[in-house]
Amino acid sequence: MATVIQIIFGLIAALIVGAAVMVVTVRNVIHAALWLIACFFGVGALYLLLEAEFLAVVQVLVYVGAISILILFAIMLTRQVTGEGVRQLVGGWRLWLTAAISALLFAVAIVPTVISHSWNVPAPPAPPGTPEPLAGVAELGRAFVYEFLLQFQVAGVLLTVALIGAIVIAFEERARRRRVLTLAEEHELRKRLAHPPPVEAPAGEPAPAPRATPISEGEVQQ
Amino acid sequence: MESLQIPPVDLRLLTPLLIVVGWAGALLLIDVFFVPDGRKKITGYLAIAGLAVAGLAGIPLWNLSGSTFSGMLVLDRYSLALTWIFLIAGALSIAVALDYLPRHAIEQGEYYPLIMFAVGGMILMAQSADLITLFLGIELLSITLYILTGFAYPRVASEEAGMKYLVLGAFAAGFFVYGIALIFGATGATSLAGIAAYLGRQPFAPQEETLFLAGASLVLIGFSFKIALVPFHMWTPDVYEGSPTPVAAFMSVGTKGAALAALLRVTLALEEAQTFWLPILAVLAAATMILGNLGALGQSNLKRMLAYSSIGHAGYILLGIMVAAERGAEAFLFYILAYTLTNLGAFGVLIALEQRGEAAWSIDDFAGLYQRRPLLAVAMALFMFSLAGVPPTAGFMGKFFIFTAAYAGGLGWLVLIGVLTSAIAAYYYLRVVVKMFMQEPVREVRPELTRGLNTEILIAGVATLILGLLPTPIVLLVERSLVALGG
Repeated sequence: MATVIQIIFGLIAALIVGAAVMVVTVRNVIHAALWLIACFFGVGALYLLLEAEFLAVVQVLVYVGAISILILFAIMLTRQVTGEGVRQLVGGWRLWLTAAISALLFAVAIVPTVISHSWNVPAPPAPPGTPEPLAGVAELGRAFVYEFLLQFQVAGVLLTVALIGAIVIAFEERARRRRVLTLAEEHELRKRLAHPPPVEAPAGEPAPAPRATPISEGEVQQ
Repeated sequence: MESLQIPPVDLRLLTPLLIVVGWAGALLLIDVFFVPDGRKKITGYLAIAGLAVAGLAGIPLWNLSGSTFSGMLVLDRYSLALTWIFLIAGALSIAVALDYLPRHAIEQGEYYPLIMFAVGGMILMAQSADLITLFLGIELLSITLYILTGFAYPRVASEEAGMKYLVLGAFAAGFFVYGIALIFGATGATSLAGIAAYLGRQPFAPQEETLFLAGASLVLIGFSFKIALVPFHMWTPDVYEGSPTPVAAFMSVGTKGAALAALLRVTLALEEAQTFWLPILAVLAAATMILGNLGALGQSNLKRMLAYSSIGHAGYILLGIMVAAERGAEAFLFYILAYTLTNLGAFGVLIALEQRGEAAWSIDDFAGLYQRRPLLAVAMALFMFSLAGVPPTAGFMGKFFIFTAAYAGGLGWLVLIGVLTSAIAAYYYLRVVVKMFMQEPVREVRPELTRGLNTEILIAGVATLILGLLPTPIVLLVERSLVALGG
């Protein structure tokens, strides 16, 4: 059994480290964010392996569910939409310097902990009288339907309202809907703008004005 | 599998809240499946009916008081009186929107249930005796308002206002939650009673309660943002200007009223911490009164002016909260009622002058209103007098009660600031009256008065007058309403 656990741990750890490496090496920012999500998932699985189910669920809910979506939104709203062709800001020796500084800072935090920790010593038994540690998800669920029943219900109403709001604001009648380009169309458009096709207009006539393409308001100004 | 025990819950104490939220949920479905497009007014009428039923259901609770859900929610006459005020504010805001939304081509049936959800959040805030419940109430109200602010999304200003409000509001919510967490860390309780018990176990020594004080300060920041106290008021004019006018009307009385009501309950409950709490509130009140009214002076846009004036009024109301333990709570309730009715009336007149595609919010558009619409001009004058605090209007009685209570409570210097700023405020309120009655119209503005709007302005106007002329019955009612609060 222990071997199986070891193997699973190895796989998860490999996933985490691999995904983390990909986050900092891929060129496309959106891809980096997606790798980050994979990394978060790996950490969630690690928690599960440590029998911290609640933490695992929260990890998935908060990091995968909320934070990565926030990151993706931030990228979408601030960068050129696809992130294609965006280079990392630093390169060459500066990249290595940055990496060295980051590694050093991390080492300052982790090395003393690793060294001073006494490994393989079982945790001392808790003195009598200490409250039972939270059993986890079950306990939480019980609290939700017992002590915090009201809050649970109100939170439900709150989420309903938020959903309705999202629909009210984002859903528009078909006739009124603004044309929003898909990523592929946007790519095409940008390529066309960057390399205008050779003008095939017959001589004597002015070149046709660039075709007016419906562009969503969220389109990036070039 | 052991059986789960549901805690003893007395749902009677929540009747108005349950009716409002339940009916709002049902109305969403009714609106989608049974109300045809283009006749969404029916939804509005049904929403008003729901609010009225909730109000009537509250009457038998007058002699009831108690707490339920492990003491997280309380019902007393104070919360009941506030509930009624909030229901009135909600109903009037729906009444003015009935024709406003189709005229601006932003009619969607969801508007009315959303207002009801917001009212539900406000009632929850008035009833909660626990910081978590309070927070959920604030968030229910805020999220609804973020949506409603951006409701007129074809207008970019509305979208911008919604975004601004959302981002800043989310920040404020973060402060509030962090404060609650710190308070819980310090005291081990989130219920007001629990926190008070912790503070009461020994004489209050600020230097030993750093964690609690940090938490309390953060909570106060959250409150200040919702009430729009200076220096947390920056969002108010922009958001009011951008949002649809009925929503601005609702916000100006709703959010403020509910947040102030909750602040009063917290202040009363944490009596031990008052030595720390009161000086901060005093500074906030003084700054709010001064800067709110000074800000309104320079506005030529009436919607922005009303936004600044609502900031100033929050400062006056804060005086009532500071002396809540003495007669302040009564003055507070009376002022909230008077301010709610007057402000809703003033916004109603603004809505009457507003047309599609073109906003008549400039003060010049009011010039010569008397010649064209004498009754509307008289109503607007009445509301302006009431906001300025000129007798015999509700606003005068409200200011009178607040200032006497504050003076008796030993806040003489704040009363002085209050009176001085009221004098400043009179200038910009009366400027509108002068424009309406004594100047010639600059350009053609065609006020559109519809049934819902007429009713709203009429109700608000008559109530403003009655409160000013015959305040005694209301004052008696208000006094009785505070018996159970122990105030």
